[in-house]
Order: sequence, then C-alpha cells, then structure tokens
Amino acid sequence: MDPVRTPGVDDHDTAEVHLVARGIATAVAPESGLTEVQADLLEAIASALTGVSVDYRALEPLGPDELADVLAGRDLGYRQRVVHHMVLGELVLRPIPVVVAHRVAKYAEAMGVKDDFVRVARRFAQGARGLAWKDLQRNGFVEHVQEANEGDLESRSAADRGAPAPFAPAEVDPELAARWTAFEDLAEDSLGRLVWEMYDGRGFALPGTPGGAPAYLAQHDFVHVIADYGTNLKGELEVFAFIGRADPDPKGFAWLATLTSLFETGYIATTGFFDRDLRERVVQAPGMHLRVADAIRRGKVVCENYGVDLFEVDYYELAGRPVAELREMLRVPPKGPACVDAGSVGLFALEGMSETQQRAIAQRQRGAT
Amino acid sequence: MNRNFTQTIAVQCDDPAPIIELLEQWDIDQASADIMGYMGVRLLADRDNPGQYLIVADFGVVDPEVSAADEAARNNERPETQASAARMREHVNGEPEWRHYDELYRTDF
Repeated sequence: MDPVRTPGVDDHDTAEVHLVARGIATAVAPESGLTEVQADLLEAIASALTGVSVDYRALEPLGPDELADVLAGRDLGYRQRVVHHMVLGELVLRPIPVVVAHRVAKYAEAMGVKDDFVRVARRFAQGARGLAWKDLQRNGFVEHVQEANEGDLESRSAADRGAPAPFAPAEVDPELAARWTAFEDLAEDSLGRLVWEMYDGRGFALPGTPGGAPAYLAQHDFVHVIADYGTNLKGELEVFAFIGRADPDPKGFAWLATLTSLFETGYIATTGFFDRDLRERVVQAPGMHLRVADAIRRGKVVCENYGVDLFEVDYYELAGRPVAELREMLRVPPKGPACVDAGSVGLFALEGMSETQQRAIAQRQRGAT
Repeated sequence: MNRNFTQTIAVQCDDPAPIIELLEQWDIDQASADIMGYMGVRLLADRDNPGQYLIVADFGVVDPEVSAADEAARNNERPETQASAARMREHVNGEPEWRHYDELYRTDF
C-alpha cells in the first residue's frame, strides 16, 4: 500500500512501526504465543494504518518500558490508540488469560495511559462479565453519550443508571415515524431515500413505529449508507469499527469492543439492540481482519478531517442531499482494494445481508412480480 | 491456577428491597472503580425459611501474584466496603453470618 496515495495511511518510520508491533505482540501474547486471529488482525491494522507490512508471527519481545521509550515523543491520544489495539488483541481471545490482561495493564501504565477498556478486558479475563458490561456501558457509552442529559441520569434509579437511555427499548413515536416515512419521497441518490430503501427492502420497522430501532441507534443506519457497509454481522462489525474510530473521543472504541464481545467471543450476552451471536465468529471469518482494519483506517480519516462523533450528526437535516456529496463532506475515503477483495460488499449487495434480510428481499421481489 | 473465592453472608430481614438497592449501587460503583478482585454478587431468598437470605459475593484473580482470597481480604479492608456493610446492617435483623469458600469447580464459559 502506498502511504502517499492512500487516505488514512500516515508516513511512518518503518523502524518505529516494527518496535510498536513488537510491544503490542509481547503484551497480548498468551503463553503459547500469538493466536492466528490476533496475528492476522494486528498485522492488518498495522498495514492499513501505516502502509508498513509487519509479520506479527516473527517478532522479538519488547517490554513495557522499552515501548514507552519508543512512544515517548507521541501524544497521549496516539499512545491511547496503541493501547486500544492491544485491548482489541485481547478481546479476540477466549478466554483472556489473566496474565495477558494484567500484562497489557502494565504496558498501558508504562505508557502513561489510563484507559477504561484495559479495565474492561481485565474484568473479562477475571470472569466478571456482568461487571465488565456495566463498566463498558457506564464508561464507554453513558458518560460519552449522555453528557448533555446528566440531570436525567442522576434522577434515574440505581438499576436504570446501569442501562443507558440510548439502548433503552424504542418507544412508538408518530413524529419520528413520519420523518422516516417521508424519506421515501426524496431523490433516489439522497441519504434519506437510500436509508429508507435499506429499511423497506429488508423488512425493518421504521424508527418510531412498533418494533422500530431506537432513534439513537438508528443513527448508525445512516452511516451504513454513507460508508456503504452491509447489514449482516460482518457489515455491522465494519460499520461500528468505522464509527468508533471516526469518533474524536477515544471512548468511541467502545463500539468495536462491544461488537467483538457480542459476535466473536460472546463475553457480552446482549446490549438490548444486538444479541450475542457466535454461529460464525466474525473477526476470525475469512478476510474480516482486512475489513475491520480498513474500517478503522477509514474512520481515522473521518476523525482527522471531519472530527465529529457520527452518532451526533443531524442526518435528518442532511437527508435530502446526495450521498456522494455527504461522503465528500464527511471526508469518507473509498474502501481499500484489499478490503473489497476480502469481501466487503456494498449496502445493497445480497452477500452483505443476513439470511433473514435476504428472505425479506426475495419476498419483496416475488410480491413485485 | 486462578482459583476463585466466594464469600457468603447469611442475613435475616423483613424486606429485601433495601438490600437489593444497596447491592445494585455497589455494582455500579465497582464498575467504575479501579479493578480489584470483586466479580459480582447474587442475593438468594430461602424458599423454606421466609425472611432468610444469602448474599453470595465472588472474587477472582486480576493479578497473577495475588490470590482471589487475598483480593477479598483487601476488599474487606476498604472504607467503602465497611460503609456498605454498615448500611446493610441497618436493614437486617440480628448479626449476619459470614462464610468463606475456595471455588473447586465451576461450569466454564
């Protein structure tokens, strides 16, 4: 990959990339060595973000203090992202050995990074999955998402405070439903029309109608359209990896941590909007390491050039505008060729839909003939 | 070997609701606090003896050098633990009965 021509690929010192890779690999390796999933994923991320190819299976160890020295000139945000790659490397392990989770904490400490996700991974390793999910919700989502509603949060009961409102079951909202229904009349290339087609074709209930997604969660469906990701589990992992990295607040990593824990390891049983599904482990599925890495790269470009949490964008205001124009506005780069070759299809490709969604499409087509 | 440790607290009370509220708040507080051995808690009602309840608190290893039992001992010494225990005493009849167990087997995840 040519770092000069590929958006999101910074010009990196090759030696530094290798040193960081050595540190990450040493931190997350179980006693028996890096697993295939870990090596593939970390390699793909390093390559996608730096353009430097690193063989994670053949790296010499690098201790926490040495890694901290390597990154001493980097700012806290950069070091925190490195720690998140370590945590992701942990989260694909099942079980996460306590010694690995403890080691990652030591690396983070040496780098001067105090990060909630390091603690979440330690809780998974410990077996405290209930507490880990509370931790992830509280520190990954609630404080991040609900800052504007702090008063409401304080007035809720102890039990309710454990479950953030964005993930609460949706309520019927005729006004919201009317806004979504009106998207049907917009121009064919508009964001609103395309998100409406996505819902209509797949048989999804519109937000605001009975069974529809909560308004907050429905925000990510606009991103499916803009970033052109499918809606099966693999597409969801891509879209949330993208959204999480596009968020200027590092707490956006909570999305990827959550989806990985739902669809790869099963550490989380349900979020309210997604339930655990381990029929096909999504991260270790063929090509997914490349697709996730590319989604992180694309998200990084959006983060650096647009700099707004994509859950906070007023898509209703933008609904009438062409998607191509919005991609330009948000600075969303195209998918990388390796990602496309690995099977990342567009929003309306059948391969990017779940079996249920494909059946809905087929039923709709039969009805039309 | 990462052997878990369990502490049980047998209590008698007329209404378990305040205890549930205390435990919920405890979990919320722990979720945002620095990592320690506490894993989670269950409150069980004795079907044969109405008014009898058992609190089951689990502790696990978070530092390979520190056992779960030691983590629990450290937890007991924390001021917030003492405060929570004092608040619980306000809602129970008589003195709670504490027991301590090493976990020998658990259906694994």
